[in-house]
Amino acid sequence: MSTRTGHNPTARRLASVRWAVAGLAAAGLLLAASFLPLAVGAPAVPAQPTFPHRAELVAAVLSEDAPKQLELVKKLVEAGGDPLVEQALAAWRQGGVFLYETNDTRTPFLLDPQADPDGQARALRLADGEQLKDPAGKPLRFAATDLTPVDTDSKLRKAIKVTLDLFALANPDPKMRRDAVTKLGQEQNAEYLPYFEARRTKEREKEVVRALTEAVALTRTVDEDVKVRVAAINQLAELRSINSLQFLQKIEKDNKAVTSPGAKETFEAAHAAVQQIESYLAMGNLFGTAFRGFSLAAVLLVAALGLAITFGLMGVINMAHGELIMIGAYTAYVTQNLFRAKLGATGAGFDTYFLAALPFSFLVSGLVGLILERGVIRFLYKRPLESLLATWGVSLVLQQIFRHIFGAANVQVNSPSWLNGSYVVHDVLFAYNRLFVIGFAVFIVFATYLLLTRTSLGLQIRAVMQNRQMASALGVRTDRVNMMTFAFGSGLAGMAGACLSQIGNVGPSLGQSHIVDCFMIVVLGGVGNLVGTVCASLGVGVTDQILQPWLGAVLGKITVLAGIILFLQWRPAGLFATRTRSLEG
Amino acid sequence: MKSTLVSNLLCGAAAAALSFSAMAADTVKVGVLHSLSGTMAISETSLKDVLLFTFDEINKAGGIKVGGKKVLIEPVVVDPASNWPLFAEKAEQLLVKDKVSVVFGCWTSVSRKSCLPVFERNNGLLFYPVQYEGEELSKNIFYTAEAVNQQAVPAVDYMLGEGKKKFFLLGSDYVYPRTTNKILKQYLKSKGIPDSDIEEIYTPFGHTDYQTIVASVKKFAAGGKACIISTLNGDTNVPFFKEFANAGLTSENCPVVSFSISEDEFRGLPAKQLVGHLGCWTYFMSIKSPENTKFVGDFMKWIKAPVVTGVDYKVTGIDAKGRVTCSPMNLSRIGVYLWKQAVEKAGTFEVDAVRTALIGQKFKAPTGEVTMQENHHLINPVFIGETLATGQFKIIKSLGAVAGEPFSEKFLTKK
Repeated sequence: MSTRTGHNPTARRLASVRWAVAGLAAAGLLLAASFLPLAVGAPAVPAQPTFPHRAELVAAVLSEDAPKQLELVKKLVEAGGDPLVEQALAAWRQGGVFLYETNDTRTPFLLDPQADPDGQARALRLADGEQLKDPAGKPLRFAATDLTPVDTDSKLRKAIKVTLDLFALANPDPKMRRDAVTKLGQEQNAEYLPYFEARRTKEREKEVVRALTEAVALTRTVDEDVKVRVAAINQLAELRSINSLQFLQKIEKDNKAVTSPGAKETFEAAHAAVQQIESYLAMGNLFGTAFRGFSLAAVLLVAALGLAITFGLMGVINMAHGELIMIGAYTAYVTQNLFRAKLGATGAGFDTYFLAALPFSFLVSGLVGLILERGVIRFLYKRPLESLLATWGVSLVLQQIFRHIFGAANVQVNSPSWLNGSYVVHDVLFAYNRLFVIGFAVFIVFATYLLLTRTSLGLQIRAVMQNRQMASALGVRTDRVNMMTFAFGSGLAGMAGACLSQIGNVGPSLGQSHIVDCFMIVVLGGVGNLVGTVCASLGVGVTDQILQPWLGAVLGKITVLAGIILFLQWRPAGLFATRTRSLEG
Repeated sequence: MKSTLVSNLLCGAAAAALSFSAMAADTVKVGVLHSLSGTMAISETSLKDVLLFTFDEINKAGGIKVGGKKVLIEPVVVDPASNWPLFAEKAEQLLVKDKVSVVFGCWTSVSRKSCLPVFERNNGLLFYPVQYEGEELSKNIFYTAEAVNQQAVPAVDYMLGEGKKKFFLLGSDYVYPRTTNKILKQYLKSKGIPDSDIEEIYTPFGHTDYQTIVASVKKFAAGGKACIISTLNGDTNVPFFKEFANAGLTSENCPVVSFSISEDEFRGLPAKQLVGHLGCWTYFMSIKSPENTKFVGDFMKWIKAPVVTGVDYKVTGIDAKGRVTCSPMNLSRIGVYLWKQAVEKAGTFEVDAVRTALIGQKFKAPTGEVTMQENHHLINPVFIGETLATGQFKIIKSLGAVAGEPFSEKFLTKK
């Protein structure tokens, strides 16, 4: 045994302890009460544990009687914790168990997952995990492609899956354990109850305990005894068990107009439970929708803020804004690759790449914006329609350049691990990447506000935007201010790109998918007004998320667009009309 | 002439020797109608590549034997630029101006529908290689593509076999997903799945905000035994799968079968987030057979030094990085070989004769033997694969050969 589990003595000891615990888990079926104290005493068990279930496994594989085979597989639940059985069952289910036949013996075996470059792997006997030898005593190796697997039918595979699922009750990953429990609970199979109870007595993770309680209660809702049934339903209501809602609804329906004894009580309990859970869901939905609305608003705001500066304040119809976003996203991609090359693909070092990517993309996009302003836009300040055409041309050129350098296909930007997953409060999900975007939106709006109102550059920007000639006459270098403002707006677009790389695609056409939304937000908010931009993105984001569940994504978006058009008919200058001279001259 | 000579010298003495004789040999013009620019370029360029590869393969082996003569294939490649009306114009150009004998092309259904009248008016011949929604049969089109009963229906069957009871149909908003889902809904109903356990949602092309949809998937999947049948097309899959993973959904508690993600699309997707989800195609790159090893090996070799042997055609615009093979590519190649065999059988390039000869043609493809049926669709083996982190599929189930049937009422009523 030890040869297979590894050379590290500690690992071996740990493994043997686990097996011992597993062996006891089987015994626990009979001695559920005395289980816990025994498990604590596990180290006293002999170092060479025996595996009574391996013989059953072999018998199951060799059996040609389908019902008996199912029976045997089901019995193997007791072998949980024997890694060989677990491995063999998983392999069997996926066609990875084979038979070695000599004259009249048939030996089932599986292949070591570690194959040679030539595709051959050691053949391991199911009976003991030792390498299979031919009659001459030569160890055997095979390539999986040359072998015919022991066949399975869907019923058998399902039985194997149940057995494996029950193994998962001991999975070291609490999330996997919780999911396994939930899934098993939904089977409503009373045979599982003892396993759930045994697990619950020693489970430490709160989440898993909750899932176990839920699973037990859900299984008991189909109990013969009315009292048990009603108690279980009440418990599910108390747990606000969303996972059980559909089952409760079914119970409610099944017992509605039935006069059999106990049906009335069951119906009443289920009816109350369904109502409780539904109102809980509605509450969660309210918060969920609000959060999703804010998060969409944040995405829109982050993307549009740069444009609110270049178009809103400066009046440049900058069709290349989307491409500046794209540049930021590609900068995040390049930064990620640099970090990966230097620090490896995982771990804390790599995870910080994103923090570096944000300022980088600000700088890179800002620089490109600066070149764009110096090279093209400064000649066109007085001719807005021509700047529209020119920047559109620039956007096509930029797209093609990036397509040429990075290829036409999208590139992959991996989220750092701290942006994956979500924070769950009362079944409402707060995805970390969304939370980050919201936080980031607040941060850049605040920073932009400070820059515009608390710095001398901000003062100059506002002066130039309000009255260029007057500012110039007072000694402000309007040309330089223009350049800096445009570069700043472009830099914001770049940061937006880095941020959006965590949510969507990074490809040469990334900008195209955002540019319309950006203009929409800025125009709706009122050109030249940052507060308007913030309010417009909030309005659009929240409205969109409220409408979507009713109307669907396509119709929802159309409705929002139609709403915006109508609104602009009513108030052509947007939410907050600011009188600037930038679009009048 | 000079440039031909130089390029031939570059590609080796053998090829050069052949091409000298080819100068004298007959050639036949064959059209390639795939978008090389615009949104569909990512997918369609690979098909152009594999077609040129196949032409080269055939020319190297001596071309097409017609009436005792050897005829080499001369490609005529046009770019309809992901612009649907342009597909019709380019098809017209190929048939009327270039007078090609056959056209291989189209990806989206809308492009096929756009040039269909052109092929019927001019009595042309088109081979269409990408899974589609059916409900169409033109005498001028041969569909090597998977019909709904060769992809969507087997996938749903597999899910039913896995004990799934609730189906979330999620797709991009255009003709293929809508028609496929309409058929699937009928099919599911015939299998006893009530309407209340089927949800159907569409999103626009390039949709990025999947929060609400994933939230409703989560609610939908809460009671267990749920799965998603996805006809989401293109890069909109990235935000969807990111959101999906962040919501704590996995292939364990709610598997996704995607009909539009093959190995080629995988190159632009975060494979890590798709691990364990399923695909259903008539070909996977990971299929183990001598024919597939040869196909994949030869294609990878060709891509590094692409030429079409024997004819005056310069191959350009090939990206040799990280290439894979996938089902539409395999089906494109099968189409070329079936056409070649039919021409050889008919002894002429004349469309009507070739069409008759095509029926019943068999070809030993990388996945096994395929047969062209009278209904212009293939009998082709179907596989279910599970996504691996490498962007490949692990085949978890072979469903055997399925006869393609374009009209849903036929396969829906048969069962």
